[in-house]
Amino acid sequence: MNKEAPLSISERDFILNALREDVRLDGRAADQLRPLNVTFGEEYGHVKVQLGRTSLIVRISAEVTKPHDDRPFDGLFTIAMELTAMGSPAWDNGRQGDLETYVTNVLDRVVRHSNALDTESLCIVKGVSCWSIRADVHITDYDGNLIDAACIGIMAGLQHFRRQDAVVKDGQVIVYGLDERVPVALNITHKPLSITFHTFDEGKKVILDATRKEEQASEADVVIGLNNAGDVCFMSKFSGSGVDAMVFVDKTSVALEKVKEINAIIDKALQADLSKRAKTGMLEESRAENDRQPELEV
Amino acid sequence: MVGPTASLSPLVRADGSASYQCPSTGSNILGSVNAPVELPGRRDALKPEDATVEVFVKPGTAPASVGERYVEGIIRGVVGRLILGRERGYQRRGVVITLAIVGGENVSRGDSYLTLLPALLHTALLALLSASVPLSMTFSATVLSVDAAGKITREPSAEDAAAAKSLHVLAFSSKGHLLLNESQGAFDFDTWERVRERASAICHGTSVGEDGDVAMVESADGQPLEGTIRETVEDQVHRDYSWKIDAA
Amino acid sequence: MSSPLILLPGDEIPSEYLPSSSSAPLRLGPGLRLLSQPPSSKPTSSTPSHVLTATQAGIFTTDAKKNAVSILSSPNRRYIPVVNDLVIAQVHHSSPDYFHCMVTPQAPHVVLGQLAFEGATKKTRPMLKQGDLVYARVLSVGLGAGAEVELTCVNPATGKAEPGGLGHLTGGMVFDISNGMAVRLMRASSASGQQQQEDGVAGLVVLDELGKKLEKVGGFEIAVGRNGKVWVDCSNGGDVAVKATVAIGRCLTTIDQHDLVPADQKKLVSRILREMKIEV
Repeated sequence: MNKEAPLSISERDFILNALREDVRLDGRAADQLRPLNVTFGEEYGHVKVQLGRTSLIVRISAEVTKPHDDRPFDGLFTIAMELTAMGSPAWDNGRQGDLETYVTNVLDRVVRHSNALDTESLCIVKGVSCWSIRADVHITDYDGNLIDAACIGIMAGLQHFRRQDAVVKDGQVIVYGLDERVPVALNITHKPLSITFHTFDEGKKVILDATRKEEQASEADVVIGLNNAGDVCFMSKFSGSGVDAMVFVDKTSVALEKVKEINAIIDKALQADLSKRAKTGMLEESRAENDRQPELEV
Repeated sequence: MVGPTASLSPLVRADGSASYQCPSTGSNILGSVNAPVELPGRRDALKPEDATVEVFVKPGTAPASVGERYVEGIIRGVVGRLILGRERGYQRRGVVITLAIVGGENVSRGDSYLTLLPALLHTALLALLSASVPLSMTFSATVLSVDAAGKITREPSAEDAAAAKSLHVLAFSSKGHLLLNESQGAFDFDTWERVRERASAICHGTSVGEDGDVAMVESADGQPLEGTIRETVEDQVHRDYSWKIDAA
Repeated sequence: MSSPLILLPGDEIPSEYLPSSSSAPLRLGPGLRLLSQPPSSKPTSSTPSHVLTATQAGIFTTDAKKNAVSILSSPNRRYIPVVNDLVIAQVHHSSPDYFHCMVTPQAPHVVLGQLAFEGATKKTRPMLKQGDLVYARVLSVGLGAGAEVELTCVNPATGKAEPGGLGHLTGGMVFDISNGMAVRLMRASSASGQQQQEDGVAGLVVLDELGKKLEKVGGFEIAVGRNGKVWVDCSNGGDVAVKATVAIGRCLTTIDQHDLVPADQKKLVSRILREMKIEV
């Protein structure tokens, strides 16, 4: 029973009728995001995203591996998302559903295929060794709009992550520990995000950041992936009924506005985390000095 | 010794959930329980009068493999003995336990999960309590490492565990039964006996000496784990029923 | 009861907490079980042969009237049908004799007799289709593994829909709330209007508050299902019907998620009605 419970007729009709009066169940406007909260953990690349009642954790990790034979100059980048029964009782552990395939595919296209992470910078020795970056997405609560929430988590994680420094000496690759050498930030070329729209009432009503019930009641979804500069890197209308072409044109400008808004939230969270780290780092340094020269202190 | 911190019901969608952090091993686990649910395609389960317990361990930064399957089996064995699967509403249904390692060092491929096992077990227990799955009793567990000199370390870090001569995970029920004994490495029986005594003290806060005296060792190991579990649950119950308790 | 008795599975209930009264047998509610104690080595007349132990974590409560004891466990738990509970069920499909309905997701369907409605006969039975909602009472839960749960929309003794309102729920909107909140709402709604307590019933003043404020726009109808669903309808509300329904839903779900105390509940109601631009 790998399925969310279907909506009742009352719920479906009510959501549609309310949208005709421009009312959403949580009182939001059609183009309004739910409250978004991005926080970072102690480790580099550990992000928690809370978008309304949808929440997820992204962990970025790196290891040294061998590049693919046909791309000797490129490092590897993988996005791994598995929907477990944690996010929703409707999901089965260890069994891939349609939603998982679809979301993984979109994330791959928005983040990976748009070269948000410069994989060439991950090369250590041509054809011999490179970094493999892995983004694990753990969905902890599902209340709609997985794609956008996961995109936010992955992009925030990539910007927050620091990998160990590696150098080549006499043909040997030496990887320094995080405390031996200042860890290295990843090379991010641009910051694409996805914005998902859902259409109702024969395409006349379009909303973004739908909740689970709104998703279930909708006719079709439109995903637009773009960056702060407005470069569109992904666009899809995967299933459902037809959508007027003008919706894409109109909503792209709305999406751009939202991408800028979200990227600003991510930047702010990154800055806050950075200054927090700088503060505790300085504290630790001063404490270490005190330890060394206790007599002078007294 | 900084004890573990835990919280109940941090998640919204799952029927029950818990988060658990152990500062000494650095592990941070999030767990969820959905129960009782229909398990598709498993209607003719082996035990038609009982509940089927499923455990799924999801590593934080790697795909799941044999190590996870192995530790899932151990966890299923421990909690399966405590779950009252014949209670009303649970027969022929599933109790689905999902544990995600959301922080701390990853267990590298091929390594044992023993250092993480107590944290996983506690998370599973707390999530079961949060989902109100009927249990016969509760339990507490700890991991101890013994180094070459015979020194016992409680809840060792990854480096300490790697350097240890032997590793032991013990779980005790709230009634004092030894529920789980997983060991790795070379050790003799005397060592194991010392380990068992220390583990019992960590879990229950008391150790029974040879003459039958009950000695309090709370000072050495901080609050016993059993107490931590109880406090976590009590805190949540107070929050959930503040409208009732405050009014009374 | 200044400090409540909080139990974990396996804990024994101290005998002083049990209702001492009456010859009536003690009724065990959810979360408790009776275990026979092994005969102790030092037999004394005072050791009982049985002990009550908890199987769930929660607060131990006693009901002196019914001579019953039970455990109040996590309000977020999954609903398991109990006889006489009122639930909101959703029709999934129908067969010649029954409607097969969903009460909890990811659980087997429950059955509702085609004729288990007030005044229903073979010719006048309601034609419910997939996705329709019914307000029903749990008639039986069966025994043993794989037993079917049966619902009814009529009191078999009188042939009436008792209490009123059982049957097909048309229009309106359903909001999801926690199990614990459903219980509180049911107590609050059944007691509302009878007694005016400052702190409301079960710590809830939201229904009274909404009732007062929405009186001018025609009031609202509400049905609470033990399975964590609440159905709200303001079809008398004319132009603001939709907004009023959304406002009620937002009030109830917000109070559920944030455990608001009565004073904050009143503030929330005013704030949300203002946000939704409903004139009161």
